[in-house]
Amino acid sequence: MQTAMRQSAAVLSRISTLALWAAGIGLVLMTAFTGWQVWARYVLNASPSWTEPLSVLLMNWFIFLGAAVGVREGYHLGFDVLLFLLPEKGKAVLRTISDMAVLFFGVGMVWYGFDLARGTWSAVMPSLRLPVGVDYLPILGGGVLIVLFTLERLARRFSGQEKLDVEMIDATA
Amino acid sequence: AQELVLKSADTHPDGYPTVEAVKYMGELLKQKTNGRIGIEVFHSRQLGEEKETIEQTQFGVIDLNRVNMAPFNGIVPETVAPSLPYIFRSKEHMRTVMDGPIGDDILKAFEAQQLIGLAFYDSGARSFYNSKKPIKTIDDLKGMKFRVIQSDLFVDMVNALGANATPMAYGEVYSGIQTGLIDGAENNWPSYESSKHYEVAKYYSLDEHSMSPEVLVMSKKSWDKLSPEDQQAVREAAKESVGKMRELWDAKEKESQKIVEEAGVEVTHPDKQPFIDAMKPVYEKFANTDVLKDLVKRIQETQ
Amino acid sequence: MALTVLFGTFVLLLLIGTPIAFCLGIASFATVLYLGIPPVVVFQRMNAGVSTFALMAIPFFIYAGDLMVRGGIAQRLVAFAGSLFGHLRGGLGQVNIAASTLFGGISGSAVADASAIGGLMIPQMKARGYGVDYAVNVTVTSAIIALMIPPSHNMIIYSISAGGMISIADLFTAGIIPGLLLAVVLMVAAWAVAKRRGYPLGQFPGWVAVAQLAVAAIPGLILIGIIFGGVRSGVFTATESSCIAILYAVLITITVYRSMSLSDFAEATMGAVRTTAMVLLIIGAAASFGWLLAFLRVPATMIAFMQSISSEPLVIFLLINVLLLFLGTFMDMSPLIIITTPIFLPVVQAYGMDPVHFGVLLVLNLGIGLCTPPVGAVLFVGCAVGKIRIWEAMRTIWPFYCGALAVLMLVTYIPALSLWLPKLFH
Ligand code: NA
Ligand code: NA
Repeated sequence: MQTAMRQSAAVLSRISTLALWAAGIGLVLMTAFTGWQVWARYVLNASPSWTEPLSVLLMNWFIFLGAAVGVREGYHLGFDVLLFLLPEKGKAVLRTISDMAVLFFGVGMVWYGFDLARGTWSAVMPSLRLPVGVDYLPILGGGVLIVLFTLERLARRFSGQEKLDVEMIDATA
Repeated sequence: AQELVLKSADTHPDGYPTVEAVKYMGELLKQKTNGRIGIEVFHSRQLGEEKETIEQTQFGVIDLNRVNMAPFNGIVPETVAPSLPYIFRSKEHMRTVMDGPIGDDILKAFEAQQLIGLAFYDSGARSFYNSKKPIKTIDDLKGMKFRVIQSDLFVDMVNALGANATPMAYGEVYSGIQTGLIDGAENNWPSYESSKHYEVAKYYSLDEHSMSPEVLVMSKKSWDKLSPEDQQAVREAAKESVGKMRELWDAKEKESQKIVEEAGVEVTHPDKQPFIDAMKPVYEKFANTDVLKDLVKRIQETQ
Repeated sequence: MALTVLFGTFVLLLLIGTPIAFCLGIASFATVLYLGIPPVVVFQRMNAGVSTFALMAIPFFIYAGDLMVRGGIAQRLVAFAGSLFGHLRGGLGQVNIAASTLFGGISGSAVADASAIGGLMIPQMKARGYGVDYAVNVTVTSAIIALMIPPSHNMIIYSISAGGMISIADLFTAGIIPGLLLAVVLMVAAWAVAKRRGYPLGQFPGWVAVAQLAVAAIPGLILIGIIFGGVRSGVFTATESSCIAILYAVLITITVYRSMSLSDFAEATMGAVRTTAMVLLIIGAAASFGWLLAFLRVPATMIAFMQSISSEPLVIFLLINVLLLFLGTFMDMSPLIIITTPIFLPVVQAYGMDPVHFGVLLVLNLGIGLCTPPVGAVLFVGCAVGKIRIWEAMRTIWPFYCGALAVLMLVTYIPALSLWLPKLFH
């Protein structure tokens, strides 16, 4: 049991790092595209129409990937006043309820993200000539990661390894 | 008592002709169904931008939607025909085409995308305006930077005219013209006036490149829930609201033109033929299927 | 009943410590399930809420801020500003507000202001012994100034929402005096709090040192010039200027300061990703929540209720302010402008208020809403940059809220503050 947990934790940790790197590359590319847009307008005297929609698409990816990593690392902002006043056991109960709610939402992101992508796949985006459905893949992808990471949090809590949460927050602070 | 309230989206503000027309349609619908069915209009982008409310209509989140033709170009290919630049010779030509069998064929094409096309509303004619000089011939456009909507058709049209299409968010256009980032933009009289762009772009050239109407669609999911009689009532009410909309639109157009002209805007009437001639590659690229070629031919042949 | 589900779920989750983005998203999800409308709309709105080009200024300015901090531009700029103002009580607080005012002249976004100035100033203020809560409070409230000083795209949104009968040029001009007034009032508040807490009162280092620090800071000062001059002369848009800031920061750091390694660069990038993903997810989820509020006709119902209360102009203006402040706690700025303008403007005009005056009031009011929980994009950015919990910042923000509210009251009841300057140009 313990080794299985540790192994899956290692895999998820790798996934999380990959997602963060992908998001970082997205941000760098977004910067490059927008810079190119200014350059092209002045130096080449031609405004590319793909830079804006492609940058926004990249932004979607890095938001939802970054948001999923945030679930694992615990850097999302919350109103945790009540948690500070409660004893350890109460905290664990509330955190579990909260994680279940996030899990529920993550499942919604996957399910309805897929629905949206499928329902809009036949429509074509202006400029990029991609299916509009591509626009909804970040929600789907982010949702999958959020489900995985929330399940990990729950599993860790039930096996009494919750302390890791706190360590991770410190690591990113 | 009212049993069903159809929810309708519009990006224009309350009081705008399209919003008022859909409200009027709701009145008609109420009469036709003995008060059973009404319409509630969510104006002013309350439910989102046009691309988003179209999806909401397709998924059955909302029932009705009044949208521009351009966002449909990538969804319903048939809508490209009336969106082509200079396809309509005049307002009367546009109304004859869209009220007739061609318009009905285009409305029918929406069904493949989970939408029921109900009616076309006028959107006036879109023309160029700029801050630099009066446009009298096509050569005057050379090298000028014009903001266009995110539509391949508009981008190609502007480039084909020798100008430089610059995609930009609508909210940035005013300061964009003011600072010289772009030279101008394009729109109909009411939007030119209500956006206040005439304050910074004083030259309006009536080239009337687009007379593409707006369209009122219903969600197929909501449509299928209605009885055949109620479906008929919805269709009739929508068609009957078109006359009301045109009345309001014509008044609005006149009023806007007056405000703008009193503010000292210089209006030019360029010779349209060279503009039309320059559109050949655009027609070849966008009217690229047999269905579209046929539609274009039929529109051009309509007197 | 649907509203009970929406707000009930939201408050309940908030209390058990669920991250705010998920509180908003889950409450919306639960409500559409209850209403029986297709739940795709929640996720569609969330996606649409983060899919606008103008929003890119947020990650860009956060990123630029991170790079300027790691690369040394920020430290040199702040050292220079500190040599000038540092000997005043709470000097860095004053510098922060002054910087926000300057920055407001190149950006119309309070969120961008909070991320850029916050990213620059908060770490410095921390290092010099200022309380993090103080640094965040000053950053967050002074970011509202960016909305008031032109350029301000929210003023344009307002003009368009008003059916376009209002001159944007007038609106821009009208925001200047209230914006400067807000800067002065916040400086007084910052001074008072600094005095009570006994924040350091540095020594004036002498003009030679000031000159040396000025030279070291030149690349940073040029950046302000590039952004300001670039936007003013139409070389790029405000959104694009945020991207130029990144490119410039990287260039200077590599060629002039030579102070950044590849791993520093990677860390700055990852830091920017974490901060912006968190902030933008909240903005996306708030778009779903706001959509439901509109769908359930919440703003319209509230207004009908308010109109039934009084017909006295002064009371109506106060009520509208209170209502907007309340709505502003739950919703973001531009959707609120779009929804409330067509409904409120005819009311205030009937009571004799000039539409330009109302525009300034509206933007200032909703700007304050950006700094209030539970939905306050500027507050989130400030807290994220300062790495502080929202309630910790909230405990001590009252002097700044009071200052901003006082300015709001002055703007509401003294029309000349907004209308005198535009009249001068006619
Ligand atoms: Na500004
Ligand atoms: Na707020």
